[in-house]
Amino acid sequence: MKKLLLIALLLFTAPAWLTAADALKKVIAITGGKLLTVSHGTIENGVLVIADGKIAAVGEVGKVNVPAGAEIVDAHGLTVYPGLIDPESNFGLTEISADENSNDLAEPSDEIMPHMHVADAFHSETELIPVARLNGITNAVVAPATSDSIAGQDIFIQMYGADRDQMILGRDVALAMNYGADQRRRRGKPEYPSTRMGLITQLRQTFLDVQDYEARRDAAAKKDDKTFKRDLKLEALIPYLKGQRPVVIGVYEAYDIEVIMGLAQEFHLKVILNHVTHSQEVLDKIAAWKVPVIIGSIYDFPLANERYDAVYTLPAELAKRGVKIAISSADAGGPTSSHSARNLPYAAGFAVAYGLPYDEALKAITLNVAEMFGFGDTLGSLDVGKTANVVLANGDPLDVRTDVKQVYIQGVAVPMVSRQTKLRDEYSK
Amino acid sequence: MHPRLPLRRAARTCCLFAGAVLAAAPLILTAGAQQLPPADLVFKNATVMTASHGTIEHGSVWVHAGKIAGVGATVDAPASATIVDASGLWLTPGIIDPHSHSALSNDVNEMTSPVTPSMHMIDAFDNRDKALYQALAGGVTTELLLHGSANMIGGQAVVIKNKFGLDRDAMIFPNAHGSIKFASGENPKRVYGSRDQLPSTRMGNFEVMRMAFEDAKAYMATWDAYNAKVAKGDKDAVAPKRDLKLEALADVLRGKLYVQIHCYRADEFLTEEAIAKEYGYKIRAFHHALEMYKVADKIAADQTAIATFADWWGYKDEAWDAIPWNAVMSMRHGIKVALKSDSNDHIRRLNQEAGKMVHYGGATEDEAIRMVTLNPAWIIGVDDYTGSIDVGKDADIVLWNLDPLSTYARAQRVYIDGDLFFDASLPGLGTTHFSGVMHDAGGGGSDDEGDGQ
Repeated sequence: MKKLLLIALLLFTAPAWLTAADALKKVIAITGGKLLTVSHGTIENGVLVIADGKIAAVGEVGKVNVPAGAEIVDAHGLTVYPGLIDPESNFGLTEISADENSNDLAEPSDEIMPHMHVADAFHSETELIPVARLNGITNAVVAPATSDSIAGQDIFIQMYGADRDQMILGRDVALAMNYGADQRRRRGKPEYPSTRMGLITQLRQTFLDVQDYEARRDAAAKKDDKTFKRDLKLEALIPYLKGQRPVVIGVYEAYDIEVIMGLAQEFHLKVILNHVTHSQEVLDKIAAWKVPVIIGSIYDFPLANERYDAVYTLPAELAKRGVKIAISSADAGGPTSSHSARNLPYAAGFAVAYGLPYDEALKAITLNVAEMFGFGDTLGSLDVGKTANVVLANGDPLDVRTDVKQVYIQGVAVPMVSRQTKLRDEYSK
Repeated sequence: MHPRLPLRRAARTCCLFAGAVLAAAPLILTAGAQQLPPADLVFKNATVMTASHGTIEHGSVWVHAGKIAGVGATVDAPASATIVDASGLWLTPGIIDPHSHSALSNDVNEMTSPVTPSMHMIDAFDNRDKALYQALAGGVTTELLLHGSANMIGGQAVVIKNKFGLDRDAMIFPNAHGSIKFASGENPKRVYGSRDQLPSTRMGNFEVMRMAFEDAKAYMATWDAYNAKVAKGDKDAVAPKRDLKLEALADVLRGKLYVQIHCYRADEFLTEEAIAKEYGYKIRAFHHALEMYKVADKIAADQTAIATFADWWGYKDEAWDAIPWNAVMSMRHGIKVALKSDSNDHIRRLNQEAGKMVHYGGATEDEAIRMVTLNPAWIIGVDDYTGSIDVGKDADIVLWNLDPLSTYARAQRVYIDGDLFFDASLPGLGTTHFSGVMHDAGGGGSDDEGDGQ
């Protein structure tokens, strides 16, 4: 009987994408809800119209024309907000953390691996995505793990789709870099690089090699030299050294931040700082550099004899200095990874508890992330013309007690089902 | 005065209230005096979440000599009592974590044998670990510090009161019941299997336990035989050698130790209960217990509680069927449910983990707060002393700026035995008894710490 139910559920959920094309054409009017637009404030009694998978209208009830024939979704008592965006995840790169066969997190054979494309490993059917989606997360940046100085190139995904190609909205959207103690894996071994000096010198030489390679490649192209052999590793870095795409630099300590930023400025990288959880001494510098920051994890531990809230207050301290911030779902050294990404809104809420203005917190998991990764025109707020990634919840999205009732992605009402809800329902009979 | 209270408490308490609450000059001048009258303290006009009998709006709690002396809309405190205006604040019992590995200097697993019942966690307890401070700032007043999960039968736990800044002995929970940690499943399999030793499977897991209890039974029989000879007046009877390991196992069989079992899967709960019945001991709680929702109706009859995660899953095979509704579904089947940290991170915000239970399964606020107060107190065996706002219990109290089940709540003040140990409004660390240097054990404070993974 239980098995039958599971099959029934699978049958019920599977066709959702078969009809997605039709769903895209559908017109939906979500009426009576409290709209958190992110870009232009709160509308207490609002209407949001979805057509062709996009937001067609946003405004107060009575002031927005609800098209005839639209499916009306009564959102009285509900909060309506743009889908949340996780700026750092490993969705599709891991299934069961301890099961190495299910992990494609990083390629640790060398510190410099820019030619690793997350798109090549992304497993779109991962069970982690529906689990996070049920809590209102509709998009994410997927990045490799942090073991390499240059770990590879990120993708930007949508958390629903028929297959990988529908779900990957952007390939190679950013370069994942890391600097600090964790990358010194040859420490104590007679192999280069075993120190921070080695790591930085290795990076600098790599960037010089890229510039040299680019010049030789271009010269060969001019001469139509067919014998020129492409070097995929160096070639992968060219757009980043031209500042065409962002480089996300994972770094924790203030002294490491100063060193890596020196290198980044030397090569004019377009930097997004990541983590920065032990960087309280250089917050003013970070503001002066005018680089955006992903804070993750807000739950990283303060050092011994630091005040308990030294990291909890970081988002507020950065925002106060005018830094554009995003908050990621990263855990504080726990055994889980994007398994706990569903807690992303609570991390933002915790930042509010420690001084971050509410609107900034919501931006830090929506519009700011979209803008940092080049999706500001299509995602991150309830604005006409943007993709209709919309969440309906029975309360404040940043509160742990709130239950998400419905998630729309590209205007499609996503089945509110995961492997976990199936187990719940199977054993609730 | 309660015998468990050190004499100096009264003096300290007065100092703190004088500094933090009101400038009661006569009180502080007596600091250090031996015959100090017990301090009376009244929290007024708080939203009191009692954990045992609902929430009292605009309630008062009277603390006398470190114990709760009154709770209600009004209390009969003497006029001399120090008043704390808690208007706009929430008052709860101190948060209790029934599964922590904090403050053990990473000596969590004695993984040199799958059966190590004579290990005592108290021997590894480092009372200056920063994890204790960070937990205190999250409202945690009591913790059960457990052996790790590398061994089928691990060591004996220590219960602490999180009086951060006091000396080691002053942080041990007085008269707390003894507990011992068992474990089954992937961790012992991995640790011993990787060495090509028993147990490398779940078959091996449980046979190791049965063999250990057979050893204990034989040991007990040897002593019984000796004692019988002595009772008959046999002067030539030679006492058997005392064996610490077997004595500890005998204490399990005699029901002297609460058995706290790390395990995940539904089948393991059933196996563990069957072995417990075979050898005649009770299981106090399953820890992790992520699949309890599958067999909760059966386990409820055994009166075994669970200490589980709110929403952890997927980090290993045996956590693959974890669902965040586990706690509430199990509770609805009559199982006593606690939430626990197993983490130096989550211990700092167990109140939020409780809040998630409103979301996942619709727990009432009363049920949710009980999962991090009274229920873990029962699992540890200190529910007669702490875990709820009831007359006669230790005054382990947290004042919160908001409903503690919300994301936005911060612990403002933490009292243990009526004594203020943390006040967020103070500059610096916010501690009241701590000075010096904190220790950093490193790591995340989990079960698996240092088990070779």
